[in-house]
Amino acid sequence: MKARRSRSSTLTAYFFLTPALLGLLFLTILPMFGVVLISLTNWSGLENPQFIGLGNFKEIFTEDLYFLRSVVATLYFALGAVVSGIIYSFTVALMLNQRVLARGFWRSVYFIPYVVPSVGTAIVWSWLYESNFGVFNYVLHLLGANKVQWLQSGVTAVPSIVIMVVWGMGSMIVIFLAGLQNVPRAYLEAVEIDGGNAWHKFRHITIPLMTPVIFYNFLMSMISNLQVFVPAYALTRGEPGGRTLFMVFLMYREGFIHNSFGYASALSLIFFVFIAALTVVIFATSRRWMFYEGE
Amino acid sequence: MKRERTNVVVTVIIALVGLAVLFPFFWMVRSSFMSNIEIHRYPPILLPTTWRLENYPYTLSVFPSLRYMLNTLTIALPSVVGVLLTATLAAYAFARLDFPLKRLTFILVIGSMLMPGAVTIIPIFIAWSALGLSNGYTALIVPAFLGGGAVNIFLCRQFLMTIPRDLDEAAIIDGAGHVRVLFQILAPLITPVLISIGLFTFILYWNDLLGPLIYISRNEQNTISQALANFRSGFGTDWKSIMAACTMAIAPPVTLYFVGQKYFIEGIVLSGLKA
Repeated sequence: MKARRSRSSTLTAYFFLTPALLGLLFLTILPMFGVVLISLTNWSGLENPQFIGLGNFKEIFTEDLYFLRSVVATLYFALGAVVSGIIYSFTVALMLNQRVLARGFWRSVYFIPYVVPSVGTAIVWSWLYESNFGVFNYVLHLLGANKVQWLQSGVTAVPSIVIMVVWGMGSMIVIFLAGLQNVPRAYLEAVEIDGGNAWHKFRHITIPLMTPVIFYNFLMSMISNLQVFVPAYALTRGEPGGRTLFMVFLMYREGFIHNSFGYASALSLIFFVFIAALTVVIFATSRRWMFYEGE
Repeated sequence: MKRERTNVVVTVIIALVGLAVLFPFFWMVRSSFMSNIEIHRYPPILLPTTWRLENYPYTLSVFPSLRYMLNTLTIALPSVVGVLLTATLAAYAFARLDFPLKRLTFILVIGSMLMPGAVTIIPIFIAWSALGLSNGYTALIVPAFLGGGAVNIFLCRQFLMTIPRDLDEAAIIDGAGHVRVLFQILAPLITPVLISIGLFTFILYWNDLLGPLIYISRNEQNTISQALANFRSGFGTDWKSIMAACTMAIAPPVTLYFVGQKYFIEGIVLSGLKA
């Protein structure tokens, strides 16, 4: 296929790639430099930016009371949502992978929350969580338990949002189910022939073969859930006491409500380093538990 | 091979949990037809005593959802076109052409999948401000024409690679250019994946909140998600109207989902398993 690398194919390739490369340049690379430069300034967007060195970072790490709360809230939420999301969707997928009546129908049902606007579902859930007239507290009452201030109390605010977000993770169920259907029957039957039970099949065939899918879901949902924004904006506004002050919401508030572009950029940069470090850790540890076929 | 029978226990669990998953939607629709007094009755009642259809005309008078939906379409439809066009072009280059620095560009373009988009919102906003375009739809549409997203490029490329090269090589020998090979021969063969990408892109723009909040300030230009968030903070206690507004905002994507269900499921499966 050497002949393909002609001048014309090079020209065509770069012509076809122009939009994607412009996107890479203007939406990723240059903005990254922009974040670094702006983070070194004090800038409201109106007058000229003022260079203040590492002043923003100093303020964030030493004076900003919100910052640490925000990091804790974001990490707590993201870990909670990803871990419970994977357990929920993997369990449902395992069940859907059995001989279930109307499997396609139920698969569709579980998927619906994923396609609807998260603002809409957040509002509907806030009505379910409502302390005096909400359904959840009514159910608790029927069970003889006390009312819970779901979104208003510091202890339950983040877990309440986690439940709501996990409910919206229907896409992971679909991915897991497809992965499970790819597990070769021959392997499972081999375990049966060797006298293994359902647990052996699950532990020694299904789980190892599913690790790449689990890894993909873990990584992608970690990156997207660390950027959680809608519940904080539409429901809690960071309350109570900064428990739901997620990083992206804090960045939005500093940048676009308080017009402190320099400060918000410094927060963005820290946020980026934070996610990048976490991604590296996830990739590094994956070598230990991920199973590659053919090894 | 033995024929296994339906697993009754699992079917029952799946159905019960499935009904619980549907419950918030049921509660939303049911509340949207009640009076506020009925909504606030305790213990709650399951269904409205009378179905108040008039809640919807009233909600439309305070929450012009058709206007907001039209605004959203103004952003979403061109964006779908942009994503499909530029992602296919890039995918073709990666799947079919050989060129210097191919590996590097591929790693950079696909690697940007891991880039958290929220990090760069401020410099991008400042750049649009400098161009005088920070208040309007342009800033929300143009990015769709710049590659269409790493995941989409990757998906298209994976699909193009499964099509035998003989087909386009024959066409090239017959004198067809790359543009014709891509759009007349290959694109029809990867239609299912293109439909998936189009549907997901549409939903993404329909549901987006952060983008519109940054770039759209005038209420009459608001998108549906944005207007809904603002409506809820403005009409805090008028729950029947809030639920009616939610129902109207949620209905179009759900309808679209039922129409194109097969493509949604396939799209998700592919992005999860091919990566």
